[in-house]
Amino acid sequence: MWMPTGDELSMLGPHWALVGTIVAILIGAIIAGRNWRVAGTIAMVGGLLTAGLCALGWKGLGTNWAGMAGGAGGVPMLVADQFSYFFIFLISIFLVLIAGMWFLGQDARLPEKLARKRDATEFYVLLVGSAFGMALMVSTTNLLMIIIAVEMTSLPSYALAGFRKKHRLATEASLKYILFGAVTSAIMIYGASLLYGQYHSLDIVVIGRAIVEQLTIGTTEAGGAILNAPTVLMSVSIVAFMIGAMFKVSAVPFHFWCPDVFEGASIEITTWLSVASKAAGLGLLLRVVAVLAAQLGDGAEQTLNWVRLAVAVMAALTCTLGNFSAYRQTNMKRLFAFSSIAHAGYMLMAVAIILPTGGAASGAAHPAFSAIVLYITVYLLMNLGVFGCIAMVYWATGREDIGAFNGLIRRSPVIAVMMVAFLFSLVGMPPLGGFIAKFWLLAALFDSGPIGILLVIVAVANTLFSLYYYARVAFAMCFSDDGQPAIRVPFLGQAAATVCALAILLIGTLWAGNIKTFSDERSSNLYAVTKQAEQPVEEAVKTAELDFRE
Amino acid sequence: MESSILSWLIFLPVIGIVFVLAAPGRYARSITWLFTFAVFLLSCTLFDPFLRSWAFDGPYGTNMHFEQIVEWINVGGFHINWHVGIDGISFPLIILTTLITWLSAWASWGFDKWKINRSPKGYFALFLLLETGVLGTFAALDFFLFYIFWEVMLLPMYFLIGVWGGPRKEYAAIKFFLYTLAGSVLMLIALLAMYFASADVTGTGTFSLIEYATHPEIAKEFNNPARLFLGWPFAKVMFVMLFIGFMIKVPIFPFHTWLPDAHVEAPTPISMILAGILLKLGAYGFLRVCYPIFPSAAVWAAYFLAVLGLVNIIYGALCCLAQSDFKRLVAYSSISHMGYVLLGIAVMTTVGFQGAMFQILAHGISSPMCFFLVGVIYDRAHHRDINRFGGLWLSMPRYGSLATLGFFASLGLPGLCGFIGEIWVLLGTFSAPWPWAKPVAVIAAFGVVLTAGYILWMIQRVYLGKLRKEYASYPDATARETAILIPMAALAIFMGILPSYTFDLMNGTLADVLDVLQPAITAAQDVVIAMGG
Repeated sequence: MWMPTGDELSMLGPHWALVGTIVAILIGAIIAGRNWRVAGTIAMVGGLLTAGLCALGWKGLGTNWAGMAGGAGGVPMLVADQFSYFFIFLISIFLVLIAGMWFLGQDARLPEKLARKRDATEFYVLLVGSAFGMALMVSTTNLLMIIIAVEMTSLPSYALAGFRKKHRLATEASLKYILFGAVTSAIMIYGASLLYGQYHSLDIVVIGRAIVEQLTIGTTEAGGAILNAPTVLMSVSIVAFMIGAMFKVSAVPFHFWCPDVFEGASIEITTWLSVASKAAGLGLLLRVVAVLAAQLGDGAEQTLNWVRLAVAVMAALTCTLGNFSAYRQTNMKRLFAFSSIAHAGYMLMAVAIILPTGGAASGAAHPAFSAIVLYITVYLLMNLGVFGCIAMVYWATGREDIGAFNGLIRRSPVIAVMMVAFLFSLVGMPPLGGFIAKFWLLAALFDSGPIGILLVIVAVANTLFSLYYYARVAFAMCFSDDGQPAIRVPFLGQAAATVCALAILLIGTLWAGNIKTFSDERSSNLYAVTKQAEQPVEEAVKTAELDFRE
Repeated sequence: MESSILSWLIFLPVIGIVFVLAAPGRYARSITWLFTFAVFLLSCTLFDPFLRSWAFDGPYGTNMHFEQIVEWINVGGFHINWHVGIDGISFPLIILTTLITWLSAWASWGFDKWKINRSPKGYFALFLLLETGVLGTFAALDFFLFYIFWEVMLLPMYFLIGVWGGPRKEYAAIKFFLYTLAGSVLMLIALLAMYFASADVTGTGTFSLIEYATHPEIAKEFNNPARLFLGWPFAKVMFVMLFIGFMIKVPIFPFHTWLPDAHVEAPTPISMILAGILLKLGAYGFLRVCYPIFPSAAVWAAYFLAVLGLVNIIYGALCCLAQSDFKRLVAYSSISHMGYVLLGIAVMTTVGFQGAMFQILAHGISSPMCFFLVGVIYDRAHHRDINRFGGLWLSMPRYGSLATLGFFASLGLPGLCGFIGEIWVLLGTFSAPWPWAKPVAVIAAFGVVLTAGYILWMIQRVYLGKLRKEYASYPDATARETAILIPMAALAIFMGILPSYTFDLMNGTLADVLDVLQPAITAAQDVVIAMGG
């Protein structure tokens, strides 16, 4: 019987904090009754605590990684490294901000106001629950754990999407989300079981090594393995497995849930899903692909080339389709749903370039990981800002269509100016942070060979396509004033938008280097990428089997 | 010589923005006037080294003045610097920018008359931001920095046209934005490609525009025909991408269609800046980025570019003949005049380069003047239909005289600035060693006739003839309007009569750029000679 040591348990501090938050909210409801202030405060404190633990953890971890051992054959079930801590940090900070948004929206005169107050406890439990799922998602390489994490994220999200119970669109959104989620989960579990059946292990590290054994047909002069072409079964199972993450990222063709859910869900949830769900999905995807690539070593290029091509095509399609679909949207939440799909496409491009560098990187920062870390950080700020502004207009007018934004520059100048900054940051215009994010992503892509260069061309072409619909919003706000009355927006909301916009401006100018250093640190010395050669495969598989039977 | 004066120059307008936003809206125009004037005065202090004989000693890149290098981003092997400096190409353009921006800030003085319910604060803040973007682009010597400033200009311009423009402002604004952004994304690809190519050579890559041109190994590798980019020769692909990026801004046919729309819809002061300064950025890009860095591709493309310049000259002039909208006419005349710039650069002779650069400055003086002249009459008549005017000189003698002077400067009348630029370009083309140069020069010379045609015809319809009675009561140019016109008129005459003072500021650097290009030109001519050409 395996028991985790104290060190290993403390590595999982952030996870514990999130679980503790859920429990605390429930207990809080027993003591204080259905009080939305108490529930919200506990969620915010819990989120801050988690983020704080992660930030402390960065120092503690230094350049090491640590794992909860005891999974399959000494391969950790959960991993604590810079990368996973960063994602948990991001998600929990975002959790705090979403809770804050819910607080601000409480004062708005909305039809569902009473329900919002009454059901706040459930709302926060579900929200923190999905955050916990995401935290698991970014810190594991174990097939079972991945499936649990994806489900842990999805189930609360389904409920959250339909949280406006009496709202027809919300119900539809929830149902659509469940159906899509169920199908993709089924495919994912199918892929996982195929992998387990072939390689007798639940851990991707071990699976990677087993694949090498299976495919090796000789050695190069330098001692590297010459690999055979991948088998069909292997290809099918890896693709099927990755679909679960693709669904979370809302990559084309698994994106259909995204616009409907974004439109139907209340705006806090839309914001939450637009960033957190994608962040977690990307974290998972990056890790899975990188782990496989690292184990395959020199052979990765050849064996996993089709994975790279598939991801590259998918990324290109995702951003192009997302941008073009956004053209005709008039509902702001839908419009930015497609915008978020497009941005998922840009970020997915980074997954496609892991392979050429995956085998070699050990201690140095991984360019693809670093690009994602940076992009998602800036993307969080931009999207939070955009949805925050949409929310404030919605709270004041009860409208979500683009017409509600006409003449906003007169009706609420601060919101309009900040919104312009967010919009053009999303386009990727310097000197805003969106450009820096895009630049480092493009630089990483460019450096990775011909496929990367083609992706760069796709990405910059998409920048151009995207300008039109972002500018359309700016256009409504600044150029077409139809005389709607001025709106009242909460002061704190204005302040938050201003802070977000300032942060984006600073990231684009003075902090442009610092944020790159930060993301390099967060993505260096990854557990996932270092090659684990200590234990021979048969032994690992044997222990894994034993372990599993127990 | 390390100096922070350029940084002050670039960011002084940003300080102005703070004041504009903090002060009540009615002071916005005075603050802007003061700040743009201060920037102009500050830029005049840069004259000193350029008036001395040692200013242009040493090859290209070694005689930058007021240079400042501060590390900005240094991470993951990337070295991006705050690197600014000016030489004979950028210095005259900086003076032009500060002068024209100051004058157009003054021209915005009547803001309350033309847009009552739009925020003057927003207008003047964007106006100052635009100046920062332009000055930064002219001063930047780091390609990354250049790109940032290049993009910084876009947003203010979009809003200045879109919010404060004419009836079809939305269309014009987004068209301007889309065209220019299309150019910028091409530049972005080139930016990355050039960085990584330089990293291949030196180990640590660089973004320095000067090093790209002067570092012997980087320059060699960039122009190495064996180096490929996605299967095509590196230098040619980069040159074409950068060239398209810049030609959209100039604008060169067939990417010129945004310009008439943008001009017609933009308010007068913005048109002045657009024509006087923003178009020059494209031409500056040719001289700073395309030509010195990719000489081999420049020689390869010379014929094609000369023909494009020729098309611009002739096609722009023909379009002018067909216009009845006064402002659209001036806009198309800009296209025609910028054709001379491209032609002068494309032939790559000393005289051609000098003529192109002079034409850039001459057009930078005459076109804002023309746009302002149109604006003056538009303020009074509220229409711009050339055919409905007549005899304005009679009711507005002072305005009429200055207008004639401005349009004659644009026409290229000897003794005024336009003449020198055009004639130098034509001479440079005619004397160029390319087999196609003489026919091109002959055809281009016809452009001068067309220009005279449309300008004289326009003057005849608007200023001469019988005074129509609806215009008889128009007041003459006010003191403010005259004060704005006088500096431009004076410069037009000064540059026309004593061009050598202007040439002295830039000839040294232009010769340096030609020195960089010379090996490639010689090589190409050897081929021509070998072929019996």
